[in-house]
Amino acid sequence: MKKRVISLTGVLVLLSVLASAQDKFFTKNGRISFVSKGNVETISAKHKGITCVVDSKSGAIQFAVLMKGFEFPKALMQEHFNENYVESDKYPKADFKGQVVNNGDVKYGQDGVYNTKTKGTLTLHGVTKEIEVPGKITVKGGKPQLSADFTILLSDYNIKIPSLVKENISNTVSITVDCALEPLKN
Amino acid sequence: MRKKPLIITGIVLVLGAAGIYAYREYNRTNVNLVEVAPDFTVEATALVDEFLANDSVAYNKYRNKILVVQGIVKGVDRVDGDCTVVLGDTVEMSSSVRCLLDSAHVAAGSAFRRGNRVTIKGAITGFKKDDTGLLGSDVELTRCVVEEKK
Repeated sequence: MKKRVISLTGVLVLLSVLASAQDKFFTKNGRISFVSKGNVETISAKHKGITCVVDSKSGAIQFAVLMKGFEFPKALMQEHFNENYVESDKYPKADFKGQVVNNGDVKYGQDGVYNTKTKGTLTLHGVTKEIEVPGKITVKGGKPQLSADFTILLSDYNIKIPSLVKENISNTVSITVDCALEPLKN
Repeated sequence: MRKKPLIITGIVLVLGAAGIYAYREYNRTNVNLVEVAPDFTVEATALVDEFLANDSVAYNKYRNKILVVQGIVKGVDRVDGDCTVVLGDTVEMSSSVRCLLDSAHVAAGSAFRRGNRVTIKGAITGFKKDDTGLLGSDVELTRCVVEEKK
């Protein structure tokens, strides 16, 4: 009898762990890109390896990106970005931790397109700031895809534009995120 | 009298050379790593262990370096025409080395199968420590080229 209770408890624990894992979705191949349109020059870059985890039950969401993984069309831009602007050696990672505010509206088990509002903190260049991001979760075949477009100001994150090129480079950066998620299996 | 044209020619040549240098420098793209000599050759699992033991020491050692990484293929991620080869042990969600391949090497990387032993050269972008406790931490390399398949 005692053995049966122990086995039953074990099965229940295992089931709850599995159920909890199935609530979560992730990718390590998410896309992020940014564009900054200055008076003289447009600066753009893309990254193909952001990590994202979403807990469909609670709406908790996390992103992480290594700054040196951004690819620029020109090597000089990439060097200036890492050395002079975001100081990647000192601040190698940026991350976002937040919550899908209207997570109850998103039916993760049902195909559809759901507009979302996500609130959280973005840490970039060693500065953490609260942001609110409008986005979209598209569920297809049981897999959610997250997408969002938003802007940030470099000055909010203490990223300084050298005075010599201040007129040429915009303080506003438009960011696009696109992450196709897979169920997390533990 | 003869000095003036010489000086003008000299100035024009210097300005021309500076202009060509600036133009080339401005339009320079990242070098193809095929021809670049590596700074370190390391086993994938040993590289991950170094970062897990002390990520700041390991980062200072490897940052901005070109690495040749040897290891067992744990997985191959294909997304939108890009290919990331994941090296490490074959335990799911454990820490790994993730190698985003240069577009010229996507076909070679896509042919890799789990369990193959491979050698990949790439530029390290850093270590992504797993804050969630769910995914495993990763050392990430970019612009990777496939060296050989054993």
